[in-house]
Amino acid sequence: MQFQPMYDDGELFLPKIEFNMTLNQSIGIITDLKRKQLLMNQLVNHSQYYLFRAGQSEYLRLTVEELITFLIKVSERDGRAALLIDYFALKEERKVKIKDLSSSKRMYVTLLRVFFAHQPTLVLEEPYFYLEEQDRHHFKRILDDLSKEKQILILTSNLEDALISCDAIYRLNESGFHPLDIRDSEEDKQEVQKQDEANITLQKISTKRNDKVILFNPPEIDFIESVEGSILVHVGGENYDCALTLTELEQRLLNFGFYRCHRSYIVNLQKVREIITWTKNSYSLRLNTDKDAVVPLSRSKLQELKTLLNI
Amino acid sequence: MSISYKRVRAIFVKDYKEFSRNYAVSIMLIFPVILALLFRKAGSSLPEASGFLFNTSFVILTCFAQACLIAEEKERNTLRSLMLTPATAMDVLIGKSSLVFVMSAVVLAISTFIFGYVPASIWAFVPTIILSIILYTAAGTICGLFSKTLLEASLSILPVAFVFMGAPWGATFVKDYPIFKVLDYVPSSQLVHLLGISNTGYTTGDVLNPLLITLAWTVVLTIVSVVLYQRRLKDE
Repeated sequence: MQFQPMYDDGELFLPKIEFNMTLNQSIGIITDLKRKQLLMNQLVNHSQYYLFRAGQSEYLRLTVEELITFLIKVSERDGRAALLIDYFALKEERKVKIKDLSSSKRMYVTLLRVFFAHQPTLVLEEPYFYLEEQDRHHFKRILDDLSKEKQILILTSNLEDALISCDAIYRLNESGFHPLDIRDSEEDKQEVQKQDEANITLQKISTKRNDKVILFNPPEIDFIESVEGSILVHVGGENYDCALTLTELEQRLLNFGFYRCHRSYIVNLQKVREIITWTKNSYSLRLNTDKDAVVPLSRSKLQELKTLLNI
Repeated sequence: MSISYKRVRAIFVKDYKEFSRNYAVSIMLIFPVILALLFRKAGSSLPEASGFLFNTSFVILTCFAQACLIAEEKERNTLRSLMLTPATAMDVLIGKSSLVFVMSAVVLAISTFIFGYVPASIWAFVPTIILSIILYTAAGTICGLFSKTLLEASLSILPVAFVFMGAPWGATFVKDYPIFKVLDYVPSSQLVHLLGISNTGYTTGDVLNPLLITLAWTVVLTIVSVVLYQRRLKDE
């Protein structure tokens, strides 16, 4: 998949983007509203891309069953509406008019349009934004099944939504287009050197931003991530470059309640609010910060984390 | 561009259900019948009543319904979504137009019966009515394409209503403003001429003229609406 660069007031706003899409691997791009629009405006080929925009609405006066029947007929599929309604888990809402559904269910039904798409690539804008937890589960299941036959691209501004059903996630912002390492791998057990117990307890983390060196007290830090080899320290929704490696940081911060929850992430355990247990890479941690932040958690680390937290 | 009967029927059925449950729009179906009942008694004393009945019905039923059907799909972005299915632009247009056609034909047949109008020549009357329905459907399509919401659609048919319903009365001003002679070529004026032909003594020209003028309008407006429709969808 390829996007052309775009300029805004002479500045590069959207870099040239190129990545491979394969079956069974959904891609997520985390970006802002304006960049989402620019990306979607480039997907004009109707025979290649099915574009689901967030503003999509539905035929409100049809019942769920009538809508599914219509979509089957108009997309020239085989198959009976009753079977699909079972598959969509909409049996109870079968006879309900779409305007009478709850807003989460209405959005879920609207999202089902992507199921009937014949294009090889599906592009969805903010699919999970309006869905309640139960509908998120159902839609994730449908998307996972769809990804066996189609390439799926999700555009969202929220890492948590991308984590639900994406196998590879990129972040697109003013600093460019970079992959995030979220894959859960069992073989990331590096040999950690023995921590010297009698180490100095005063530790500042030195970071750089716009050629200024900024020092942070460890408790200020929300989490630290590694993006394409460079280390980003997240503090209050902002991120700062750091010259140390994750392993070095892990050792330095161990005594401050930090934890290496993933190959590419170190999290401040004091700020963990919730363990999310059902996203694509199985587990994620939601942090208690001003901006909603979510950090992936390796499957292998879950047990260790639970013992650390005494739960 | 391929047209599939199956897809057209699916769109027809879907639109029928949507339309019949949208009471704000489907109530328009009974207005021609009410008008027919009102004018029934005054029928003989008001020679223009039949023309008014038909022209009003075409605008408030045929044109309005079609404009609403298209504008509502645009408002909800479902038209854009339909363009991503195998359904072609013609499938959608024919599905919608045929629904409006059937509704208009049935309602007008009932109103004609209630009003008690007997056409001088059934062979000129029926084709003219059929052509008029197609013509006003095309006008409704154009109105719908220029409006983004249902509300805009109900306002956008006002110019159509003004020109087409007002044209027969334009003849009153012809003495003061000779330019108004043009209004005689508007299909609604021609329809009034056709309906006004008495049962005894009419020439072929009396009948053929309105029919041909209406046919010309129908062909032009249909082509314009189809071209506009395809162009507008490309912009979506």
